[in-house]
Amino acid sequence: MSRVRLAGVIASLLATGTAVACAGCGSSAAPAAVSSSASARAAAVSAEAAYSEATDQATWAVLPMGAPSGPNEFWQLFLLAAARQKWVLDTPPDIATNGAIELAGLTGTSVVTGVRPSLYLAYSPVSRTSDAGKTWAAAPPAERLADAPDALAATPGGERLLALDEAGVASSASSAGTVWTPLVTEHALAATAFGRACGLTRLTAVAYSPSSARLLGGDCSRPGVAGLFTRSAGAWRAAGLVAPPALASSQIQVLRLVTASAQTTALLAASTGSRTELLSAWLGADGKWTESAPLSIGSATVRTSAFGASGALAVVLSNGHGEILSGPGGSWRQTPLVPAGRAVTIALPSGGQADALAASAGVLAVWQLTNGGTHWAMVQTLKVPIQYGSSS
Amino acid sequence: MNSGLNIDDPTVVAAFRLALLHQGLAAAALFVVLALAWASVRGLVPASASAAQRADAWLPEAPARRLLRIGFGILWILDGILQGQPGMAVGLPSQVIQPTAASSPTWVQYVVNWAGTGWSYHPIQAAAGAVWIQLGIGVWLLLARKGRISQLAGLAAVAWGLVVWVFGESFGGLFAPGLSWLTGAPGAALCYCVAGALVALPSRYWRRSRTGRLLLGCFGGFLVAMAVLQAWPGRGFWQGEVRGQPGALTAMVQSMSAQSQPSGIADAVSWFGSVVRADGFVINLVAVVVLAGVGMVFLAGRPRPARLALIALAVFGLADWVLVQDLGFLGGLGTDPNSMIPMLLLAAAAFLALTPRPAVAVAEAAPAPGQLTPIRPATAPAASPAAAAPPPVPAGRNWLRRLQPGDLVGKAASVSLPTVMSVGAVGVVLLGGVPMAAAQASIAATPVLAQAVDGSSAPLDSPAPRFALTDQAGMRVSLGSLRGKAVLLTFLDPVCVTDCPLIAQEFREAALLLAGQRSRVELVAINLNPLYSQVSYLQAFDREEGLTGIPDWRYLTGSPAQLRPVWAKYGIASETLPAGAMLGHSDAAFVIGPDGRMVEELDFDPGPGSAATVSSFATELANAADHALGVS
Repeated sequence: MSRVRLAGVIASLLATGTAVACAGCGSSAAPAAVSSSASARAAAVSAEAAYSEATDQATWAVLPMGAPSGPNEFWQLFLLAAARQKWVLDTPPDIATNGAIELAGLTGTSVVTGVRPSLYLAYSPVSRTSDAGKTWAAAPPAERLADAPDALAATPGGERLLALDEAGVASSASSAGTVWTPLVTEHALAATAFGRACGLTRLTAVAYSPSSARLLGGDCSRPGVAGLFTRSAGAWRAAGLVAPPALASSQIQVLRLVTASAQTTALLAASTGSRTELLSAWLGADGKWTESAPLSIGSATVRTSAFGASGALAVVLSNGHGEILSGPGGSWRQTPLVPAGRAVTIALPSGGQADALAASAGVLAVWQLTNGGTHWAMVQTLKVPIQYGSSS
Repeated sequence: MNSGLNIDDPTVVAAFRLALLHQGLAAAALFVVLALAWASVRGLVPASASAAQRADAWLPEAPARRLLRIGFGILWILDGILQGQPGMAVGLPSQVIQPTAASSPTWVQYVVNWAGTGWSYHPIQAAAGAVWIQLGIGVWLLLARKGRISQLAGLAAVAWGLVVWVFGESFGGLFAPGLSWLTGAPGAALCYCVAGALVALPSRYWRRSRTGRLLLGCFGGFLVAMAVLQAWPGRGFWQGEVRGQPGALTAMVQSMSAQSQPSGIADAVSWFGSVVRADGFVINLVAVVVLAGVGMVFLAGRPRPARLALIALAVFGLADWVLVQDLGFLGGLGTDPNSMIPMLLLAAAAFLALTPRPAVAVAEAAPAPGQLTPIRPATAPAASPAAAAPPPVPAGRNWLRRLQPGDLVGKAASVSLPTVMSVGAVGVVLLGGVPMAAAQASIAATPVLAQAVDGSSAPLDSPAPRFALTDQAGMRVSLGSLRGKAVLLTFLDPVCVTDCPLIAQEFREAALLLAGQRSRVELVAINLNPLYSQVSYLQAFDREEGLTGIPDWRYLTGSPAQLRPVWAKYGIASETLPAGAMLGHSDAAFVIGPDGRMVEELDFDPGPGSAATVSSFATELANAADHALGVS
C-alpha cells in the first residue's frame, strides 16, 4: 500500500471515528424526573391565585381576565358593597395588573393592594383605599411579591405592611414611610428551633394577627407539623397551631393565611401520598387556635379560595365542586358543581350568601347559591373593558 | 440577536440599498482607476518580466485548481448577490443565524449570538459588507489565475468561509442533533474553506498525481463517515414515521418544504417528504449505500471506477439538492445554494487532480537544490522570443533593487489586466470588510434602527417650558438650574410595564455614550403617574433599571397639581385607563440646548425593545446631545 493510500485510509478511519463520535453528539438527554415529593407538595396549592375576601361591609374578589396568560391577561378586583346587590369593578387605577393582585388589611371598606411584577415591571407597587375604591393612595413599593395569594399583609387600616418577596424574605414597612425593613429570610427561619422541627421548605404566606402580631406561614417537610411562625420575645417561634393527631403522618402546607375583620384564618392542606385533606384553623383573641374537622379531597387540588367576614371559608376544587365551611365550629358543606368559567371563585358576603364568580375573557358572571344550596342561579353579568394591547 | 424589526422595514431597506449603491460606485471607480493606471503605465513603459514570471507563464493552471477557482468564484459571486436581498440586513440574524443555531448546544448559541448581536446592531454595515466581501472574493478568484495573488484569493476565501461557517452556519450544525450529509452537513461554507485552502496550495502540488489520490481518499473517507452517521441505528434515519410522527429524515424534508419558495420546488420537496415518510427505510438505505459505495471507491483511488462513482455521486447529489435541499437559496432568506454544489465541485476537483496533465521540464530554468523542477506542459504553445531567451536571474535577492521606482513601474507594466483587476477585487473586499469591522468594534448600534421605529426627529426652536420639581434624592430641580447644559428630557411612569423601562435603558446607555461630556449633559425624566408619584417609586424604578449609578440622571416628581401643567406644556398625554391597564401616555424625548431652547423632539416609542433598538435609540440621543452642544 502506497503512503498516499495509507494516508487516505487513515483519514477515512479518522473521519469514520469522528462520525461515530458525532452520532452521539447533540442527542437530547431524557428529561429529569420530577421529584415526587415536590410534586406532592405542589398538588394542593392553588393553581390560580384567584380568591375572595370579605369584611362585614364589603367583599372583594380577585380574578384573572382577558387572555389566558401574557401581556393581555389582566387581573381584576371586584367589589360587592354590603349595601348593594351588584358586584362592581374596583381594580386600582394607573397600574398594569398583568401580575396578580394581592389583598391585605381588610377592614370595613378599607383594603391594601399589591401588584405582582409582570413584563418589565420588576417590583410591586402597593396602594390602598379606605372608601371601597373611590380614591386610592400609593404606599411604599415592595420588592417582587412572592407568587402566593398572601404575600402581602397589613394591619387593619393599613398602617403597617408586611411582605414576602420572591427571594423568600419577609419585610415590613410603614405605609407612610418609604423603606422596607427585612425581618427574616426563609433560610434563617428554617434554621430556628421551630424551623428545624418543621423542616421548613418554603414560606407561603404572611399576615398580621388581630393583635398586630406578625405571622408567617410555610410548608413543612416533617409530618404532622403546621408551619405557622410568630415573632415573640425577640425570636421566631411556633404560632401555637398543633395539627390534630389524625394528621400526624401528613405533610402540612399553609395554603392561605388571611386576616379580615379582626379574624385570622388559616387554610391548611395535609398530604399523605396522593391523598389530601383540608383543614381550617382560626386564631382567637386569646391567641389560641381552633381547628375545623378535616375535609378529605382525595387527589383533587384547590383551585380558588374565599374567606368570609365571620370566619367562613370556601374552596373550589379541581373536581368542580365547591366546599363551604361556615366558620369555627361549623362543618364542611359541598356545593353543586360550580358554573363553568375561568378561575371560578366562591365569594362569601356577610349574611350567609354564597356567590360564584366566573370570569371569561371580558365578562364576569355572578351566580348565587339558591334553593337551600342545591342550585347555582345567574344573578349578574358584568362587562369588563379589558384594554387589550395596552401592556404590549 | 433579533432586532425585532420587520425584515422588510422600508427605512432599513432604503438605507441598505443606499449603502450598496455608494459602495458599488466606489468599487466601480476603483476598477476604472486601476484600469486607466494600468493602461497609462503600459503605454509609457515597455513591459519587463522576470525569468521566473515568464517561466510561470508557460505553466497552464491545473484543471482541478481551475475548476475550484472558477466554480467557487462563481459561487461566491452568487452568494454575494443573494446577500444583497433587501431583507438580509434585518433578517439574517433572526431568520438565518438564529434558527440554524437553535438546536445547537448552549456554547455554540453563545458564540453565534455574539456575532448575531453585532450584526443586529449594525445591520447596514454588516449586510453591505457581506455583499462586497463575497463579491470581491468571487471576482478575485475568477481573475487571479495564478501566482501569489491567486493563492491569496484562496486564503481570503478560507478566512471569510470560516466566519460564515462558524457564525452563519453554527459550525455547519456539527454539534446539533440530526447531522446528515443529505441536509448539508458539515456546512456549505466549510466546502468553500476547503476549496479556498486548495486554491492557496502552491502550484507544484497540483502537478503530482498523489495530491489527487490524497484528495480523493480524504473525500472518500468523509463520505464513508457520512454513511456511518446516516446508518447509525439510534439517529432515527431508518424510520420514515415513528408512532404517527415523522421520523428524523421525514421531519428534515418536511421542514424544507415548509419554507416559502416557488411552488414547483415546494411541490417536489413536499412529494419527496411523503415518499420518505412512506419508505424511509429504503430512502435511507439508498443514501447509505451510495455514500459508502462512492466513498470506498474514492478511497481505492483508481481513476476508472472513481469516474463512475463521481457520476453516481453527481446524480445522487443533484437529486438531493433538488428534493431535500430545495436548491438551497430559493427557500426563505437563502444565502447560498447549500452544500451539494460545492460538495460536487470538490469531488470533481479531487477526481481531476487524480490525473494531472503530463508535463516537461523547462530546460532554461535550472532548479536550485531541493527545489522542485519547474515544468511546462508538452502541449504548451511555442515560446515567445522573450521567453525563449530570458535574462539571467540575478544571484541573491536584492530586494532594495527590486523596489527601485523604475523597476517597479516596469513590473507594473508587465502584469496582465486580469491581475490588475484582481487587485481591484481585493479593494472590493476591503471596501466591505473595513466598514464592517469598524462597525463591529463600536458598542453603540446604528441610529437607523431607531429611525426605522419612529422616523426622524422634528427640529424645534422655541424656549423650553419651565418646570421646578423634586428629584429622586428629594432635591429641588428646575429647568433654570440646568442652564448651560444640554438636557435630554423624557416623561416616564415608574410603574409602567412596557415602554418606560425600555426608554430608561435607552437613557442609561446614552449616559454611558456621553460619559466624556458628563459635565455638559443632563438626562432628565419627569414622572407621568399621578398616583405613584412618591419619591420612593422613582427610587424603586431607578434601582430596577440600573440608573442609580448614573450621576447626571434626574428623575423628577411632584404632586399631581405640579406635574399636570408640565405634561400639558410639553404636550404629553397621560390618561387613566380602566380594568387594570397601565396609564396611557405618549413617548417622547426633547433635546434642550444649553441656552434653554428646545432643539429637537424625538418620537420615542421604543418599538420592539430589543437590545439593538435600545442601543440605537441611545445612539440617537447621544448624537442629539452632541448636536445641541455643537459637537460634530
